[in-house]
Amino acid sequence: MKTTINSLLFFLFFAPVYLFGQTTLTGTVTEQSTSIPLPGVNVVIKGSATGTATDFDGNYQITVNNGDVIVFSYLGYQSIEITYSGQAPLNVQLLEDAAQLSEIVIIGYGTTTKKDATGSVEAITSEDFTKGNIVTAENLISGRVAGVSVTTSGAPGSGSQIRIRGGSSINASNDPLIIIDGLPISNNGVGGSRGVLASINPNDIDSFSVLKDASATAIYGSRASNGVIIIVTKKGKSTFSATYDVQYSFGELTDRIGVFTGNEFRQLIASQPINGTTIDESLLGSANTDWQDEIFRNTVSNQHNVSMQGSLFKAIPARFSFGTTKQEGAVLTSQFERRNLSLALNPSFFDNHLKVNLNANMSFEDNRFGDSGQIGAALRYDPTQTVYDPSSPFGGFYQHRNGSVLSNGTTNPVASLLQTNNYGDSNRTYGNLNFDYKFHFLPELRAVLNIGFDETEAKTINSSSTLVATNDDVKGNASRGFQIRTNKLLDGYLTYNKEFDKLRTEFTAGYSYQEFTNSGDNTGNTRDPLTFASTFADPNVVLIGFFGRANFSVLDKYLVTLTYRRDGTSRFSKENQWGDFPAAAVAWNISDEDFLKDSKTISSLKLRAGYGITGQQEVEEKDIFLNRYRAGDENSQYQFNNSVIRSLITSEINPDLKWEETATIELGVDYGLFDERISGSLNFFQKNSTDLLFTAAVADGTNFSNSVIQNIGELQIQGLEFSINADVIKQEDFTVDFNFNATFLDREIKDLALGQDVRTGGISGGTGNNIQMLRVGEAPNSFSVYKQLYDTSNNPIEGAYVDLNGDNIINDDDRYLKENPGADVILGFQSNINYKNFDFAFNLRANLGNYVYNNVNSSRAQYELLQDNAVLGNVPTTVLNTNFQRTSDVIISDIYIEDASFLKMDNITLGYTFNNISKSLKSLRLWGGIQNVFTITNYSGLDPEVFDGIDNIIYPRPRTILAGANFKF
Amino acid sequence: MKTRFKIHKTIGFIFLFIAGFTSCTSDLDITPKDDQTALSEDLFKDDAAYKQVLAGIYANLALTGTDGPGSSNLKNIDAGTSQFGRVLLYVQTLSADQMIWSYENDPGTREIQRNLWTAQNPLLLGMYSRAHLSIALANNFLRETTDAKLDERNVSSSVRGDIPAYRAEARLMRAMAYYYMMDIFGQANFVTEDDALNSQPPAYGRAELFTFVESELLAIDGDLVASKQNEYGRADKAVAYMILAKMYLNAQVYIGTDRNADCLSYCEQIIGGGYSLATNYLHNFMADNNTNSAINEIIFPIISDGFTTQNYGPTTVMINGSVGSIEENGTEVGVGAGGWGGALRVRKQFVELFNGAFVNDDRNTIISEDRSIDIVDISDKDSGYIIQKYSNATSTGSFGVDQTFVDTDFPLFRLADVYLMYAEAHLRGGGGSVSTAVDYINALRTRANNISMINSAELTLDFILDERARELHWEAHRRQDLVRYGKFTGGNYNWAWKGNGSNGIALPSHMDIYPIPSGSLASNPNLTQNPGY
Repeated sequence: MKTTINSLLFFLFFAPVYLFGQTTLTGTVTEQSTSIPLPGVNVVIKGSATGTATDFDGNYQITVNNGDVIVFSYLGYQSIEITYSGQAPLNVQLLEDAAQLSEIVIIGYGTTTKKDATGSVEAITSEDFTKGNIVTAENLISGRVAGVSVTTSGAPGSGSQIRIRGGSSINASNDPLIIIDGLPISNNGVGGSRGVLASINPNDIDSFSVLKDASATAIYGSRASNGVIIIVTKKGKSTFSATYDVQYSFGELTDRIGVFTGNEFRQLIASQPINGTTIDESLLGSANTDWQDEIFRNTVSNQHNVSMQGSLFKAIPARFSFGTTKQEGAVLTSQFERRNLSLALNPSFFDNHLKVNLNANMSFEDNRFGDSGQIGAALRYDPTQTVYDPSSPFGGFYQHRNGSVLSNGTTNPVASLLQTNNYGDSNRTYGNLNFDYKFHFLPELRAVLNIGFDETEAKTINSSSTLVATNDDVKGNASRGFQIRTNKLLDGYLTYNKEFDKLRTEFTAGYSYQEFTNSGDNTGNTRDPLTFASTFADPNVVLIGFFGRANFSVLDKYLVTLTYRRDGTSRFSKENQWGDFPAAAVAWNISDEDFLKDSKTISSLKLRAGYGITGQQEVEEKDIFLNRYRAGDENSQYQFNNSVIRSLITSEINPDLKWEETATIELGVDYGLFDERISGSLNFFQKNSTDLLFTAAVADGTNFSNSVIQNIGELQIQGLEFSINADVIKQEDFTVDFNFNATFLDREIKDLALGQDVRTGGISGGTGNNIQMLRVGEAPNSFSVYKQLYDTSNNPIEGAYVDLNGDNIINDDDRYLKENPGADVILGFQSNINYKNFDFAFNLRANLGNYVYNNVNSSRAQYELLQDNAVLGNVPTTVLNTNFQRTSDVIISDIYIEDASFLKMDNITLGYTFNNISKSLKSLRLWGGIQNVFTITNYSGLDPEVFDGIDNIIYPRPRTILAGANFKF
Repeated sequence: MKTRFKIHKTIGFIFLFIAGFTSCTSDLDITPKDDQTALSEDLFKDDAAYKQVLAGIYANLALTGTDGPGSSNLKNIDAGTSQFGRVLLYVQTLSADQMIWSYENDPGTREIQRNLWTAQNPLLLGMYSRAHLSIALANNFLRETTDAKLDERNVSSSVRGDIPAYRAEARLMRAMAYYYMMDIFGQANFVTEDDALNSQPPAYGRAELFTFVESELLAIDGDLVASKQNEYGRADKAVAYMILAKMYLNAQVYIGTDRNADCLSYCEQIIGGGYSLATNYLHNFMADNNTNSAINEIIFPIISDGFTTQNYGPTTVMINGSVGSIEENGTEVGVGAGGWGGALRVRKQFVELFNGAFVNDDRNTIISEDRSIDIVDISDKDSGYIIQKYSNATSTGSFGVDQTFVDTDFPLFRLADVYLMYAEAHLRGGGGSVSTAVDYINALRTRANNISMINSAELTLDFILDERARELHWEAHRRQDLVRYGKFTGGNYNWAWKGNGSNGIALPSHMDIYPIPSGSLASNPNLTQNPGY
């Protein structure tokens, strides 16, 4: 062991020094337009092995002879050749490559350039980020990338549903793999946090790379089926700069679900609209309370971010940032607070042969979770009652009661919110340490070692007043929970670059080890003597991978990429735990061919084709292949002879579980016109996921459940993506650019377990009702409903449906499939306009052909619900349109399936920049904007953008007015 | 020379790099970390595990999962509605003339109580899957307790001494599950301890199931603990006899053969086992029915406890559910005042069984004040009468520990049923003595403080059916009784909401058995759907 350490040290510190008696030339390389020094520029004597690179201040030092040709080259810039004739110093300005084709694109375990890329990879840098009220990182690319959809609820700091090309699974995860600076993060959050990306400060993010097709993602093998999002955080620089960004926002809900006002409600009750039941009018109060107004509020939120870049101890390029975010939720009491500390150190050693990147981040998230379920209670609560009642024994809040006994029915939502404090405190530490070593004696070979760490500790404290509305002996709740998740990564790879005459090659081979843990405990309700404390610990999830990639570029025109990954997962048994995931892609830069080389119109044109297989193992079950027994918790035991025996029940088992595989075919065209003023891509893809990890029925009695996760079924997703980026006007004082992207998606289930339909899509209104179905030949989660019958004046007849199978009985066999929640077309449009010091940006987003089941109306807009157990309850005014009496008669009607296509303007911002204000303050930008500007839709509910096609009262998205300032020092 | 040296070092470095990491691949072989979960190879090192695993088979009748009343080890069905006793109550009682469930948007309930069910009904899936889980758990226990396995694990001799009874009980629970499948669905997946996991087992029809269940129950007789001698909560010989008696009583339905003499003989064996009626009819349905006089009457309970054995089972549902929407009388029975807001009521035909001589009968717990006898609109919880048979109060006036999850055990089999079966088997030509039969009926009357006794002339089959309803209503027997009497389908007895008519409509005869749930059917191609569905 000692010997190996010695050899290691030997290599790390082995610095060959060649000394000849020549002139030492020095100088600085800067970027032409900004005069910012460029670090890492290659400075070589043409035709020799002598060369160096600039340091972090752009300085270089090289020994030359008169007449030597010095080549300055830097990725993304045009190379310059200068003949040495005694200049001292030799300062060089590099011009950014106009074509941008050499723009670096981050890919898995390495980088490529836009020109060399063979897969469908989209890089989004900070200037392209979506603007506006960005609280969580994923919203920076919302609507920005073809094929990527981001759906976020209105809850403060809430997580989002991110889908790349519609996912790839039915039962298993459809979440993309998210990688922060080389560290793949878990998609599972903790109890006290709002989401896995909620703890990351968007301000620290430098760029995103979205890897969409298999040839790009296959290097991540087992976790790549849903696409990969690589997040690169900002790095340290050696020149000093500092920024301070501040933003205030003011949110207001602009829309309400229509329910009856107090006066309307009294009239309605007096009309006794429930057939066969007489409502007790004496229960009516005399107030007029709009309960939605009572539980919703206007919000004030703010964000502050300070960042500093510069050289630490004059040697280590560093970046430090501190950010705070405080966001109030539209529902009373709900709040999100986050403080972020981030440190990046990026030193390099041995003439840049060894680069070290350290990213360390700490995030402190404090949440108060205002129960959004109270929105439902607000819709339901009797509008003729007051909010407060001084005589009430329940903390002075009005409650339906008989003396001190609560009547059966909905309780006062304002009281429920104000008397409950559900608090979550989640502290996350994450980061990575990356060594990138270019071998001294073999500069073509690089070794990269990456150590990553991500740990989240969350405390949840739920406590409520002892005066909450309950008849129970136990008054309210007081419980504490704790959860800790860790994620440890070790990966390393070697990259070998070799250029031949007409052939450039790059080979990469590596290894990755990652382990996830999750455990915690909960006290239970400490006010309840019957409660008990509990602990839980998930089995570890361990993922191990070996990967390799080979790139060949012939004459810079013909590109081939071969990728292979062998992955092991702890989720499957020894026999099945390894999977192989190969991919291949070819590309042809047609524009470099002679017949197009001189075209004034076409500046770049590349055809791409790729095929690859990726895997999926991300299912909830972590140890289902094992022969397990589970003991009951304190409430789930049995008794023999009136004493407790801790019964043990055999757990479901599937030792044969294995990888779900997705085969992707991709055909694409990347184009650039008029010197890249117009550019974009057109992609066609088809994904076929087979051996779907699917929870499907097993013959009863042959396992320890009736349904076990298995590899059954096939899903096909076909799609077309189109994007165009255009610099419409590009003048010195006036620029207009836009990005438009369109995605067409078609999903079809090709095969299911034994061809059997699967009901899914739980809805509210009765326990366990399902509204959706998986059926072979149909889109996943199509709505399964009865076909409504209408009378001659086209009003729906309650409970009357078409007897589709003609057996004179209306039952489940008469349900048919109508539409599905997936959008057929997703469109995004962004535009930036700069005129002198003004900047103006807006974004539009549209989904077409997405349908929603209006569960708000289906489970609430019926007259019988005016009787809320022993009290009165409000219902949506849409009941007047249908005059429906009973929920159970109508809840499965197709009348509630609505086209929820929409066009939204997510944000619009206007800014003005003051430059060179003082010696220290370089610039100040003041800006203002609006978030959620408008929504155009025919959908009758509050917001057409719901999760999974079922509108069961989402947390509403407020319209927000924003004002902010960006200071640069 | 120098270059070569470097290359060697480089190669060495690469090998170190790879070798250092490949050794970690064994980390892929994980084990559970949660203290509630154990691997079988570790579990059975502890001799106490055998009884705990046996308890798991029993627990499957009460619990739906291991992590609280909302957890479920079955899928595609709500945890609460796959509880064994509850779904049994739905298929046997809710489907007939005694019970109405007000919340018809609870999936499956509408179709069961209006006799509109299809193979899609989730409650039927719950019944079929839950009973088959009992079979799977029993088979697993039998596999883990073979002599070879016990030898291999060096199980102590005291535990080995208990194993034959444990194994007999596991086989009894399996036979009971098959018995219910035979009665309700007429078919079952036939799986024994010899069958592989996830196989596609043969489907057994009624005749094959009858033979199997009968032979099993007879075979285990020697190993089962004698009647009333086992621990409360565990099954003894009387439970096996009870299933045999019920099979024989219904043999005409199942296999077209008269076995009433066998029924009567097993009824005698049970009665001879030392059981006696509880001193108070209602003791059988109270929170302390595991300790009060009912322990002499209950032959097999499904355990419920407000703390240790919480479930949404039949007693929790019936006690919370029968709290009146108007009366809000929950505190009387030890649950929240409003209970479940009037979820359960009774149908008119049931109420009418208590006219005349039964007004003051203890078995008449009907509350009718301010209520109409008719239920015109099922969702109107103020219409129709309610009853107060089950309670979370104890015989001594205290209450169960929890206000939702009751302490009351569900009396799946009890002596009163045996008395009534004896009388019926006698009338059906099974032998025995008419005076004994009359005495048994009158013993039930006396116990219910009903002074009206019957004589042998009044002892008719129709009388027995009505008396069974008065004695055994809401105990998950009714559909089986009506089918045996030929009154469940067809039009010779129409009760409120039968066939989805408020006054009752005839049902086609194929509805005497339920359809195989579509999910279960599809997962085993050897099953064929019952005729008519």
